Amino acid sequence: MIHDLIAIIDEYWLLLLIGQYPNGPLGGLANTLILSALSIVLAFPFAILLAFGRLSKYRVLRWPVTVLVYVTRGVPLLMLVLWSYFLVPLLTGADVPSFLTMLTTLVVYQGAFLSEIIRAGIVALGQGQMDAARALGHSYFSAMRYVILPQALYNMIPSMLSTFVATIKDTTLGYVINVPDLTFAASQVNNQLLTQPFQVFLILALTYYVICWSLTWLTNVVERRITRRRAGLIAPKRRGQFQTSLTPNATEQP
Amino acid sequence: MTASISSFAKDQTIRLADVRKSYGDYDVLKGIDATVARGEVVVICGPSGSGKSTLIRTVNRLEEINSGSIFFEGQDVHAQMSGRELNRLRSRIGFVFQSFNLFPHLSAVDNVAMSPIRVKGVAPAEAHEKALKLLDRVGLREKANSYPGQLSGGQQQRVAIARALAMEPPVMLFDEPTSALDPEMVGEVLNVMKSLAAEGMTMMCVTHEMGFARDVADRIWFIDAGQIIETATPEEFFKNPRHPRAQRFLADLRH
Ligand SMILES: Nc1ncnc2c1ncn2[C@@H]1O[C@H](COP(=O)(O)OP(=O)(O)OP(=O)(O)O)[C@@H](O)[C@H]1O
Ligand SMILES: [Mg+2]
Repeated sequence: MIHDLIAIIDEYWLLLLIGQYPNGPLGGLANTLILSALSIVLAFPFAILLAFGRLSKYRVLRWPVTVLVYVTRGVPLLMLVLWSYFLVPLLTGADVPSFLTMLTTLVVYQGAFLSEIIRAGIVALGQGQMDAARALGHSYFSAMRYVILPQALYNMIPSMLSTFVATIKDTTLGYVINVPDLTFAASQVNNQLLTQPFQVFLILALTYYVICWSLTWLTNVVERRITRRRAGLIAPKRRGQFQTSLTPNATEQP
Repeated sequence: MTASISSFAKDQTIRLADVRKSYGDYDVLKGIDATVARGEVVVICGPSGSGKSTLIRTVNRLEEINSGSIFFEGQDVHAQMSGRELNRLRSRIGFVFQSFNLFPHLSAVDNVAMSPIRVKGVAPAEAHEKALKLLDRVGLREKANSYPGQLSGGQQQRVAIARALAMEPPVMLFDEPTSALDPEMVGEVLNVMKSLAAEGMTMMCVTHEMGFARDVADRIWFIDAGQIIETATPEEFFKNPRHPRAQRFLADLRH
């Protein structure tokens, strides 16, 4: 059994790692990670925009965004994937690569989930922080940028890491529209071997498990740190005196 | 706009004219008429729920009003204006909250320096230097790099005062600045406020610290059920309150 696993890995590790590359498109684990990372990186700003829309005092913004968020959250991801796969080419007439279809779907889907986390983080800060910033003369967006978001996003780092873990698992659904990811590579291996599906998919499961477990572990570490920092037990790390929090963008990295 | 500037005497920093506000059917402010002269210290007191916070928050338009007008240095605070104009106006009115509302992700010095940098465009080095001076002035120079979570309530409130002063406002508003503090920390905050008053700052303070009112206030506004029912000097007010409500209020405070 163990012997079989090692033999399969020995034979097919490159396919599992990068797919057909460089003879075909990049695939395998590399593509899974790239797809996950890209989705989360793009879903994040998208989610902030959605959260702003949900919190807006203007109905024309609030209502459509609320509908989008609710629909997206209330539909299985697989449905969204299939919709985009069949609808987008119909609507645009263009032949969209499956990777791009999957990426867009994941961005919208994770964006909707993240936006609710961000919204909750902003609401949890209470009105006092916004009042204080406005009283000092900050505009709404300046207050968001320098006062509200740095706190809300920092508090949300654990939730965002868990969303990242969820995204990695969600990329497996790309299989149904032929996104060449790790799952796709594993099924190719299985098609070649034919006789060892259990072994092949065990390797697949273990790989996902190790990646997601490490990230979950990291999430817990970060969460504990944040809890301790909120309690005032440790001061945030500073690069130089006075400068850190006021250098542009220093507070915006997720 | 021109009318508003010319029709009020220059030394009236704040003027409220028939200010009314309601939440739904409930009238919180029922026609407030009052003025604060330049350099004057006004203490606003009255029973809980009488509208003190609402009143003071309308002065920098953290609350909207339903009718009437409020003039700050001749400018109609509640007139139609662009967001920019309103932000500029607000930046010239210092506001200190009961719950401090320091920015917990910034150190004390960054709390003080941030808005001059981001709102007024002051150079960071200059803003920090000034922030340190202001922290020194409220007795917290050595806490410059501490975070709000590491400071006591009294220290946080003093940083909050320094933060408001950093915008160089000609007037400071205080909404029960010591009510959230342990008794032993009330004095340190009141001392900072006293020194501000001594330097000629125009101040509107909602507070129940009657010692402060007696020593520092030029005038006391007693507000009840959304109306100013008595304005008096501290001597008059404490020795001889005219209105029965004010008499009862003072009697309750002494117990
Ligand atoms: N957002 C709101 N919606 C509805 N009612 C409100 C709102 N804010 C305040 N009120 C009501 O308006 C009245 C005046 O409130 P305000 O906070 O101005 O009183 P206050 O004099 O500051 O009282 P306190 O001494 O308790 O601080 C209260 O009865 C309060 O319940
Ligand atoms: Mg109040």
